Amino acid sequence: MKCKKGDRFLPNRCLMDLDKAHTLLTSKTPQFNTSSNFNQAYRQKLIENLSLDSQGRPFKIMVFRGSPKSSRKSIRFVDELRQEVAAIFEKDCKQTPYRCIPKGEKRVLDAPRLRNDYYSNIMSWGINNILAVALGPELYLWNSEDQAVHKLLQVRGGNDWPTSVTWSEDASTLAVGYMCSNLQLWDVESSKLIRSLQGHSGRIASTAWNGHILTSGSRDKSIINHDVRAANSLASCIKRHADEVCGLKWSTEGNRLASGGNENLLYIWEASKMSSSKFLHRLSDHCAAVKALAWCPYQNNVLASGGGLSDGCIKIWNTEKGICINNIETKAQICGLEWNRHHKEILSGHGYSIRENQNKLCLWRYPSMTKVGELGNHKSRIINLCQSPDGITVISAGADETLRFWDVFGPPTAGAGNSMVSDLQGLLSFRTSLLR
Amino acid sequence: MASRTVAKDIITLRGSAAIVSEFFGYAANSILYNRGVYPEESFAKVKKYGLPMLLTQDEGVKSFISNLTAQLSEWLEAGKLQRVVMVIMSKAANEVLERWNFSIETDSDVVEKGVSREKSDREIMREIQAIMRQIASSITYLPCLDEPCVFDVLAYTDTDVPVPFTWIESDPKLIANPQMVKLHSFDTKIHKVDTLVSYKNDEWDEQ
Repeated sequence: MKCKKGDRFLPNRCLMDLDKAHTLLTSKTPQFNTSSNFNQAYRQKLIENLSLDSQGRPFKIMVFRGSPKSSRKSIRFVDELRQEVAAIFEKDCKQTPYRCIPKGEKRVLDAPRLRNDYYSNIMSWGINNILAVALGPELYLWNSEDQAVHKLLQVRGGNDWPTSVTWSEDASTLAVGYMCSNLQLWDVESSKLIRSLQGHSGRIASTAWNGHILTSGSRDKSIINHDVRAANSLASCIKRHADEVCGLKWSTEGNRLASGGNENLLYIWEASKMSSSKFLHRLSDHCAAVKALAWCPYQNNVLASGGGLSDGCIKIWNTEKGICINNIETKAQICGLEWNRHHKEILSGHGYSIRENQNKLCLWRYPSMTKVGELGNHKSRIINLCQSPDGITVISAGADETLRFWDVFGPPTAGAGNSMVSDLQGLLSFRTSLLR
Repeated sequence: MASRTVAKDIITLRGSAAIVSEFFGYAANSILYNRGVYPEESFAKVKKYGLPMLLTQDEGVKSFISNLTAQLSEWLEAGKLQRVVMVIMSKAANEVLERWNFSIETDSDVVEKGVSREKSDREIMREIQAIMRQIASSITYLPCLDEPCVFDVLAYTDTDVPVPFTWIESDPKLIANPQMVKLHSFDTKIHKVDTLVSYKNDEWDEQ
C-alpha cells in the first residue's frame, strides 16, 4: 500500500489549546473592546516593552546611569524628570474628557490709548476682583463684580506714563511703575498715594510682589527689592542684567525670583541670597527678550519662559537644577504666559510673527506641550495677559486698544483654587527626596 | 617521541563572561579615544590583546565603565544579555550620531547545564585583536564628530531581568536612516559577539 502524501488535513491536536478554544467559542461574555482607551504614550511604552528582536526573542532595553560624571548629570536628571512627568501625565490622561475651548470672548472692553509697547506690563487683576489697567497716562480700575469703572490717576505733562502695574498679593496696595523711573504705592480704597519709592534711573518695565517685598526691574538694568514697611525701603539692588529687565516673577512659595532681560538672559535668584547679587542660575537659551514668565502652580520650581520675536520659544525649566526640560517653538513673539490652575495647561499670548500664531492665544497641554487650541480675535498684537483670581478667565490686552476676556481655563475642578491636586503633591514629595 | 601537548584551553561560563565584559571595557575606551569623545591626553597606553590599547585616566569615566562591565559580566553569566550598545550623542542637541552595537549569542546549553567548552585563548585573543584594529581604523570612514559629544551605554536583556539600581529603562536611541558597517566577530564558544557600527549619514554624502 502506497503511502499517500496527505490530501486530507488532519490538525495536530497536541498543538491546539482545546480549553481556550472551547472558552472562546462558547463564552457569553461580550466582545472585547479592541479600541484602546490608552493614549499614545502608554501604547508606545507597551510596544517597546513587548518588542521582539530579529530572532523573535523579547527584550528590554536599559541605559546605564551609574557613577555620576560631571558632564552627564544633566542628562540623567532630564531622563528621570521626563519619566516622572510622563507618568503623571499618563495618570491624568485617563480622566480628561474632551476639552472645549470657547470660540469667542466673553467680553470686550474698549481700551483707548493703550500703549503699543512690548516692554510694559500695564494690567493686573487683584484678588479683590478689581482689574487695574493703565491706558496711556491714565490708570483705571474696573470692578469685575459690578463692572464699575473708576479712574485712579492721571499723569499730566505728556512725557510720563505708567509702565508697570501690579497688585500686592492681598490687593491692599497697588504698585505703579513709571516711564520716568518713579515707583508709587497706592491705596485703592481711599484712592490715595501712600508712598513713592526711589532707586531707579530708567523706566520701570516690570514689578512683582512677594509679601511685603516689592521687586522692580528697570531699563537701567537693575533689579531693586523694596521692603515697603521700612522707612528706607531699599532692601537690595541687583545689577546683573546687561539690558532692561522686562520680566519679573516670584515663585508661588516666594523662595525664588525669575528675572528676564532684554539681552535674552533669564536669571533665577534665591530670596535668601539677594543681597549678595549671586544668582542661582543664569539661563541663556533664549535668543530674544524674555518678558513672559510664569511659575507652574502644580510643580514646585518649574518655570515657563517665553521669548520675543526672534526666539518665539516657550521653555519649561527645572529651576532646582537649572535645566530646560521642554522647548516649544511657537514661531511668534511671546508677550505673556499664564498657567491654568484647573487643568494642566499653559496659555501663551502672542504678538508679531512671520508665520503662525500671530496675535493669538495658544493653549498647550502640560507636560506634553501639545497644542490644545488657539483663540484670538485681536486685530493687532497682544501686549499683556493676566488671569482672574478664580483662575477661570484670562484677559488679553491688545495693541488694537481692546481688552478681551476669555473663559478659557474652566470649568473649575472640585476643590480647586489655590490648593493643588492632592495625589500630585504626594508624587512630587517623593521626587524631591533624591534617593539615588 | 614526545607528544606535543596541544594548548587547548577550557573555557567556563564565568571565564567567558569575564572575557566578553573585559572586551567591552577595552572596546568602549577605544571608541571614546578614537572618536574623540574625551581628549587624547586623558588616555594612557596599556598592552592588551597584543596591541597598545588606550584606557581613560579620568576617574569618573573609569569607574563608570568598570561598574558597567561588572554588571554586564553578571548578566553574561546568567545568559541574559542579548546586546550591548554604545551610543554617541551630541552634547548640545542630544542627537544620536553613532551606535556601536555588540550583539551577543549565548550557548544556552552552557548556561543551563554548566558544561564548559574548549577554545584556545590565543585564538580568541586574535579575534578580539582584529575587532580592535577595525575600531581604530573606523575613523577613516566615520563622519567627523566636530561638536562635543557624550556617550551612553544601553543593554538589551531578557524581559525577566530586574532593572538594577544604577540602570533605568530606556528607548533604543536609534538613528534614522543610518549607514551601517559590520565589523568582525569573536567567539568564545560560549558567547559569540558580533560588532556593528551604525552612524548618521554625513551631510556631505551623495544621497
